[in-house]
Amino acid sequence: MTSPINLDNWITENLFNSVSMSCAVVDTEFNIIYANNAFEQMFGKWKTRKCYSVYKNRDSICTSCKAANAFKDGIPRTNEEVGYDKSGQRTNYLKHTIPVPDEEGNIGFLIEISTDITETIKIRKERQLLFDQVPCNILVIDKDFNITSTNKKIREMFGDIEGKTCYQSLKGLDSICRECIAWQTFEDGKTHTGYSTVKDKSGKTVHFQVTTVPLESKKGKVKQVMEMAVDITETLKLEKELKIAHTFMESMIATSVDGIIGMDSDGEIVIFNKAARKMINVIGSRQVQRNELDYILPKGFLDQISSGPGHVYLPETDIETIDGNKVPARLTGFQIIVDDSPMGMSVFIQDLREMRQLENEKLEAERLAAVGQTVAGLAHGVKNLITSLEGGMYMLKSGMKNSKIERIQEGMEMLGRNIERISTFVKEFLSFSKGRAIVTGLCDPADIAKEVVGLYQTKAKGQGIDLQYMKIGDIAKAPMDYEGIHESLTNLVGNAIDACIMSDNKKSNIWVRVSEDKGVIIYEVEDNGCGMDYDVKKKVFTNFFTTKGLGGTGLGLLTTKKIVQEHGGKTDMVSEKDKGTTFIMRLPRNRLPKPAEK
Amino acid sequence: MSSGKKILVVEDEKDVSTYLVTLLEDNGYETVTAEDGIKGIDVAKQEKPDLITLDIAMPNQTGVRTFRQYKEDEDLKAIPVIVITAVGDDMRRYFNKVPGFKNPEGFMNKPIDEERLIKMVEELIG
Repeated sequence: MTSPINLDNWITENLFNSVSMSCAVVDTEFNIIYANNAFEQMFGKWKTRKCYSVYKNRDSICTSCKAANAFKDGIPRTNEEVGYDKSGQRTNYLKHTIPVPDEEGNIGFLIEISTDITETIKIRKERQLLFDQVPCNILVIDKDFNITSTNKKIREMFGDIEGKTCYQSLKGLDSICRECIAWQTFEDGKTHTGYSTVKDKSGKTVHFQVTTVPLESKKGKVKQVMEMAVDITETLKLEKELKIAHTFMESMIATSVDGIIGMDSDGEIVIFNKAARKMINVIGSRQVQRNELDYILPKGFLDQISSGPGHVYLPETDIETIDGNKVPARLTGFQIIVDDSPMGMSVFIQDLREMRQLENEKLEAERLAAVGQTVAGLAHGVKNLITSLEGGMYMLKSGMKNSKIERIQEGMEMLGRNIERISTFVKEFLSFSKGRAIVTGLCDPADIAKEVVGLYQTKAKGQGIDLQYMKIGDIAKAPMDYEGIHESLTNLVGNAIDACIMSDNKKSNIWVRVSEDKGVIIYEVEDNGCGMDYDVKKKVFTNFFTTKGLGGTGLGLLTTKKIVQEHGGKTDMVSEKDKGTTFIMRLPRNRLPKPAEK
Repeated sequence: MSSGKKILVVEDEKDVSTYLVTLLEDNGYETVTAEDGIKGIDVAKQEKPDLITLDIAMPNQTGVRTFRQYKEDEDLKAIPVIVITAVGDDMRRYFNKVPGFKNPEGFMNKPIDEERLIKMVEELIG
């Protein structure tokens, strides 16, 4: 083969091969008659092959063959082409087709120089995709504020607005907006951010946060500006709702009668409302510090809150004021957890002072009512006694009148018996009504029960009753009126013995149990004696009610109830006729009276 | 001087019962007794008394319920009842409130006015 353009070997072998672009020489029959190393590396074997076969794996000339046109008109051209590389991969390349005329002006050859632009095309596509798919509205404007390109999102929202001015198509204005940030970017070449309210193609108002970025800055001149707008309509709505919720919460906290303390995740106090300040006696502008809470609130309360989810509830406890006084309070605390992470703690404090006072007043009112009832009932008791005394007198008088010795004797006995009754009655009544102030001291609750059982043991045995004392679990000492509780239990055990005597049961039992459950000391006196029917049960705690005839005054249970009440407790009863009766005294520790000074 | 009339004394207090029985017998009446309301019904059915004195505060069954039962019983409802109680005038008001019941034929507070009681009995049964 002779050199077609008559070049030296050096030029063909060295110069061409050192060029990094693919170069090929094609004749009018579309044969590749020469190609350099770069070409062979890109498209593979070329010798004795047609150009359309090498570039495009075709068997015939391409439909819009650029080479054919160049042979005809002699004009060089540049095209983006798609073909296949030597391994059969689809390849984008930029091809310069340069006709080479001979001395007579005929074109016998073309030089084709190709550059691989596959990567560039890919990047260009990705960029377009990105431009269209970013979750914000993007448009580009030129110096005259004409929109030169828009992304998909903006087209969806505003329709086809390319070519129009931004102020007209987005805001319906005739001239640029006041405080236009795109104008500022054109002026100073810097990025600016602002807010804009526009109407979309359906007429709905949309709020945008807009950032303008300079494009194609040459010699400090900005030719285009890209506007990126984020729809913040929903955000603004949420912001407003949040503001309402926040104001609502703030006023609730401020006006709450309960004390509210809030801490952030670092344990710093961020909320300490007015009610809390008042309860803890925080004066003036003094701020309460986190470490002070450790002694204001019960020990370990905050640790308990921070140790896990759920509420920590202390229905009756004490808090300490700044000046060291104790205030009875109900506490609720919980950890604020957002997305599984602790964000802080809240503590709610309910002041129980007023409630305690009301409770005390109620107790006192109940006591006074009981005394009132007693006084009313006194008349009944006294009248019965007087009737009996008068009966005795009648017997005596009529006996004397008719000289009936037996009747005189009977009258004397009636008088004696009823005078004795009056004596017992008056003693019990006085003990009940004078409202002996309870004398509180630390005592062992179980000891009292044990002693009462000991006292009655002989009497019970004599009646064939098995009287048992039982202590269940550990019971710590408690502030109580030893004598009062002793008397209460004495009344109950005495009643139980009477109930057993009155029953037909062959094997009589009395169980005196003392236990503690959740801070409540419980005394139970159970018997399997005669039990009570409905009528008796209804009246059992009323004064002067007795089923024991002359043997009882009807004040025993009422006295028990009163003493238990004075200890802040309650007396209950379960009874079934012919089965037995259980009396239960419940004394919550937190309501027990304060121990008196000796 | 027996009038031949029989009076049932329903009273739990032994001494009061003895007192009433003696007083009534001294005035020529025959007596039978019952120590509570339940027995008061049984004895009344057995003995068919001419009059009943009835205490109110009694164990097992009160006089109020017993009175009701007397007045609901076809055989007993005609027997006049004198309520003798230490409960006081409240009892009289209570009886007035019981719907569908007339008041007891006689009402006497404790302590007993002997003369008035005998007069009341005489007026009711002669």
